[in-house]
Amino acid sequence: MKPTVEEMQRLLDAELSVRARIAYTALLLVALLMTVSITSLWATETSLPPRTEVAFAVMVAIGSSWVAYAVWVLTKRRVLLAGHRILAARMAVTFSSLFAIGALLLALRGVRGAVGASCTGLLMASIAVAMLVHAKQQFARLLARRRELEAMR
Amino acid sequence: MRVEDDLLVVRCQLGEREAFEELIARWHEPLWMYVRRLTASDDTAADVVQETWLRVVRAIARLREPGSLRAWLFGIARRAVMDRLRVRYREPTVPLDDVDVAADVVADELDLQALHAELEALPLLEREVLVLFYLRELTLQELSEILEAPLGTIKSRLFRARNTLRRQLEAKGWTR
Repeated sequence: MKPTVEEMQRLLDAELSVRARIAYTALLLVALLMTVSITSLWATETSLPPRTEVAFAVMVAIGSSWVAYAVWVLTKRRVLLAGHRILAARMAVTFSSLFAIGALLLALRGVRGAVGASCTGLLMASIAVAMLVHAKQQFARLLARRRELEAMR
Repeated sequence: MRVEDDLLVVRCQLGEREAFEELIARWHEPLWMYVRRLTASDDTAADVVQETWLRVVRAIARLREPGSLRAWLFGIARRAVMDRLRVRYREPTVPLDDVDVAADVVADELDLQALHAELEALPLLEREVLVLFYLRELTLQELSEILEAPLGTIKSRLFRARNTLRRQLEAKGWTR
């Protein structure tokens, strides 16, 4: 049975869901920040019992798996278009900045492992800002091209 | 038309949902006709066209040359068909010097419906090159991009397909 234009439009409507993209971006950021926190803690704690070491390793593996899954979805399935990239980059800036600030406060209180986490948090926040700048530039380029083409019609 | 297509692609890349709707409204029918001619049934064609549109949405952000939208769309549809049918084939070996693709020896003189029926009976690779060249009126260069084969291969495939179709038609009593 031949699918109608409306059926295909409905199919793509679901595929283009912004809510799903936000959810997967949030999943990526939360999983990434949790993995970073656990890794920092694990790396700075000395003489942990073997059972705790295993628990840390399992948690890092789980976090990394979620990160990989979210990256796969956002690059192969729910692909981020120019507008979505700005939104995702803004979320990344917010999440990583909050993480870095939290880790810095803990580091100032002398919590072990917080120094490493805050450094990683600052690095991630810098990368997020760079991604936001790049996403905005790409959006502006496409917008300019759009105006150019509209003028040619 | 070219500017309109370029504009549609840019709007899709920006993330405008209405642009995707316009893209489908404009290209669904040509894609359907192409895919339907390559597949055995409406159901298979429907699945393939659906898969094609999903791939389009997932890949349009990476389309660097919006001007090649037509070739790009048919290329995606073709790969979806190939994935579905898992066809393996050998490259043709017809000497390229013998090929004269400019001469249209079939389409002008035949009743279109009868031609379509004969097309259905052709092997997949020959059918698709004729459909794209004669019915969708794509250029050889576009065919080369869509079918992912050198221009020479496309010409020889077209030559072979035309001959096969001619033989088929002559066997059924059609004359030029």
